[in-house]
Amino acid sequence: MMIPLSIHTILNIGSFGLLVIGLAIIFTKRNLITMVIGLNVADVGANILLVNAGFVKDGTAPIFTTAVGSAQAMSDPVPQALVLTSIVIGFGITALALALIVKLYRRRTTLDVSKIRGLKW
Amino acid sequence: MVNPIMLILIPLLTVFLINLVNIKWPKFSAGLSFLAIALTTGMAFTLLPEVMQAPIEVVIAGTKAPIGINLLIGPLGLMLSLIILVTSLLVSMYSFSYISDERKGMYSGLFLLLIVGSLGMVMTGDIFNLFVFFEILCISSYILVAYQRNEHSLEASIKYLLLGSIGSLFLLISIAILYRGLGTLNIADIAARVGELPPSTRIAAAAFFTIGIGVEAAIFPLNSWLPDAHSSAPSSISAMLSGFVIEVALVVLIKIVFSLFAFAALFWLLAVVGVVSLLIGEFAAYRQENIKRMLAYSSIGQVGLILFALSLGTEAATRAAFLQIINHAAAKSALFLVSGYMIIRTGSYQIADYRGIARRMPVSGFVFFLAVLSLVGVPPLFGFFSKFSIVMAAVSSGSTGATVLTGLVLLGTVVEAAYFIRVLQHFYQREPAKAVTAARSERGAGAESSIEAPIAAMLPVLAFALFLTGGVLLLGSITGLADAAVQDLFARLVSVLA
Amino acid sequence: MRKVVTGLLLAGFLFYVGSLLAGIFLVDAPEQPRIVGSTILAGAEDEAGAANTVTSVVVLYRGFDTLGEVTVLFLAASGIALLFGHAGKAKIKKGNAGPGFILRTGGRLLYPFFFLFGLYVIIHGHLSPGGGFPGGVIVATGFFVALLTGDRVNIPEGWFALCESLAGVGFIGLGLVGLFGEAGSFLAQVFPLGDFGSLVSAGIIPFIYAVIGVKVAAELSGAVGRFYTSDEGETL
Repeated sequence: MMIPLSIHTILNIGSFGLLVIGLAIIFTKRNLITMVIGLNVADVGANILLVNAGFVKDGTAPIFTTAVGSAQAMSDPVPQALVLTSIVIGFGITALALALIVKLYRRRTTLDVSKIRGLKW
Repeated sequence: MVNPIMLILIPLLTVFLINLVNIKWPKFSAGLSFLAIALTTGMAFTLLPEVMQAPIEVVIAGTKAPIGINLLIGPLGLMLSLIILVTSLLVSMYSFSYISDERKGMYSGLFLLLIVGSLGMVMTGDIFNLFVFFEILCISSYILVAYQRNEHSLEASIKYLLLGSIGSLFLLISIAILYRGLGTLNIADIAARVGELPPSTRIAAAAFFTIGIGVEAAIFPLNSWLPDAHSSAPSSISAMLSGFVIEVALVVLIKIVFSLFAFAALFWLLAVVGVVSLLIGEFAAYRQENIKRMLAYSSIGQVGLILFALSLGTEAATRAAFLQIINHAAAKSALFLVSGYMIIRTGSYQIADYRGIARRMPVSGFVFFLAVLSLVGVPPLFGFFSKFSIVMAAVSSGSTGATVLTGLVLLGTVVEAAYFIRVLQHFYQREPAKAVTAARSERGAGAESSIEAPIAAMLPVLAFALFLTGGVLLLGSITGLADAAVQDLFARLVSVLA
Repeated sequence: MRKVVTGLLLAGFLFYVGSLLAGIFLVDAPEQPRIVGSTILAGAEDEAGAANTVTSVVVLYRGFDTLGEVTVLFLAASGIALLFGHAGKAKIKKGNAGPGFILRTGGRLLYPFFFLFGLYVIIHGHLSPGGGFPGGVIVATGFFVALLTGDRVNIPEGWFALCESLAGVGFIGLGLVGLFGEAGSFLAQVFPLGDFGSLVSAGIIPFIYAVIGVKVAAELSGAVGRFYTSDEGETL
């Protein structure tokens, strides 16, 4: 099968790569902060995947201005709105995770998962 | 007529009002949240006759379904909403006296958001909206698990958060795959057109979705967070998390599987996974010395049982599963709530420290006894009917596989009975443990007096107990609602794919 | 050993999922948005009235999602507040090296511009990329720079909570106007649409986005500030 190497394809492959890298970080690293970073990397991967679902060939941003004629194809606005929601949710989770980690660090003075009994999986 | 969207909006509006009230008068927030839940519960009951006739569709932003978001409230959604609301109404009553520290204002707000998330999940008709409410549910549970701010609860919360976020990530990927394939987010619309997807795409979406919600639904092997989270949360929150949060995630998973991913193999996989969860949960519970961990593992077992019954895919088994959800919500909430005051009075989580506690907390001891009987499934109580009908439905489904699995379910029940009887033995022993003799209530009486929980906390517990015993009288109308919910669920099942 | 096993598992997972996804994502992009996207683009001028269709999706068509999203932010902010306790007054802990001269002076010069730019982004949300979320973040960045430069931000705790609550109530209130009004549905477009593409247009959308902007700014500022306070008996 001949794969058309457009930006669309490259973004899809890249987002999948980010997902795998992020998940690998979460499962192999033992520092809590690093794990949260891994979560963020994976989150970015998922977001690119989502926003790319609205990709349209030669499409412009879905904003009506005087410069864009109505003939021009526009990309799908829905995934762009979804990804905004998803980014904000990711931000909320990250902020909460960091707060929990700060709080735990003040008690335990370590960030190493393997040294914290309750965090062994 | 009440617009069903108010069921979500009233608690949400109250959350913001509570945040306002907290600035100056945090002591009023608990009452405010109780009133909001009571109002919402009343509204949900008034919707009942209408929903039984036909499902209500709520249009949002004036745009019809596939373009905008809609809510779809059928008997299934309303039944779950009622379970959620009634349980949380009673638990919020219990929280009046149980949560008494200076942060109780914030507790009420988070408690309401937990309800908002659950209600949104069962009522929405849009898959991305489902994700948003799922996140509200998850994040409020992460925070409430960490409420006590000690090492255990912080660790449990971090573990829960990391696993839960991976789950929501998978859910998001599943949504991206579906949107990429079909260009729509409305569940009914996807269901109508899901056949257009190539099989590999559909399998990928099903796998990501099942794993994503499976984390919250505590399906084995994704449930390692549950014992820690449920045991280190405040007991009122454990009651909510065990009582309906897992079940809501589970039913939503089954609902989506029914409407979008009805693969026969997936049903079998879920049935087997359910039985494995049941056995692992019950055997692990048998080994626990900590009462809340024991109850948490028992929840894993019960959820496994419910999952098994739901994924048998017959109407009788599904109805039985719904009855078991109701039974579990009442019984497990009662158990967690009772154990909450036992922990406060004795200052210990160890079952061994509760020797002879039933003499000093007679009502709590008796409610615990009743709830255990109902959970195990002893005849006159509500649990007997649900468990018995699960077994009957599984055996009569006819396949050898289901019969073998049913045998394993019965084994799990025996183990469950064994460890609960051990606990009851401790409760009713003559020789009290040191922690029990030393226990004092806030009324400050002597060593022989009652250390029963305050009346405000006992009333909801008694209400649960009353339901478990007297619920049999309501069995007719409850079964009627469950039947309508089964019809609602099976209407989504177009055809099972090999 | 643990790493090797995890690696192998990941590789297997990767291969399996990759082969499934190859069929989905290595296909070429369509020429036009699908049904939902096309309908929204076609109705941009008459239905929602916002030149930026992403904004009309965020605020109107999927406004209920956005309400949930704002709630998630609110949740995160109150979770952080719950964890760090009621700090009576924000005590800003200075590190070993305090903020330098350049940071302090630069920060003070920049605050007004942060607010101005944030306001601009919020107000123009229905015309250009931006809106309540980015605008709110930009305003909150102003507070964050103030914290970094070590300047006392003399805003009482209650103010953030007040803004956040009123904005939340305002969001739901604007939605309820639609529910109890003629439109009969939550978050409906109830105000006149105005002149397509001009600043005063798109009916209810700029109002909702302004409310979101206030809410996001208050929540983020409050949440970031919490990290800089320490509660009783704990050392940073």
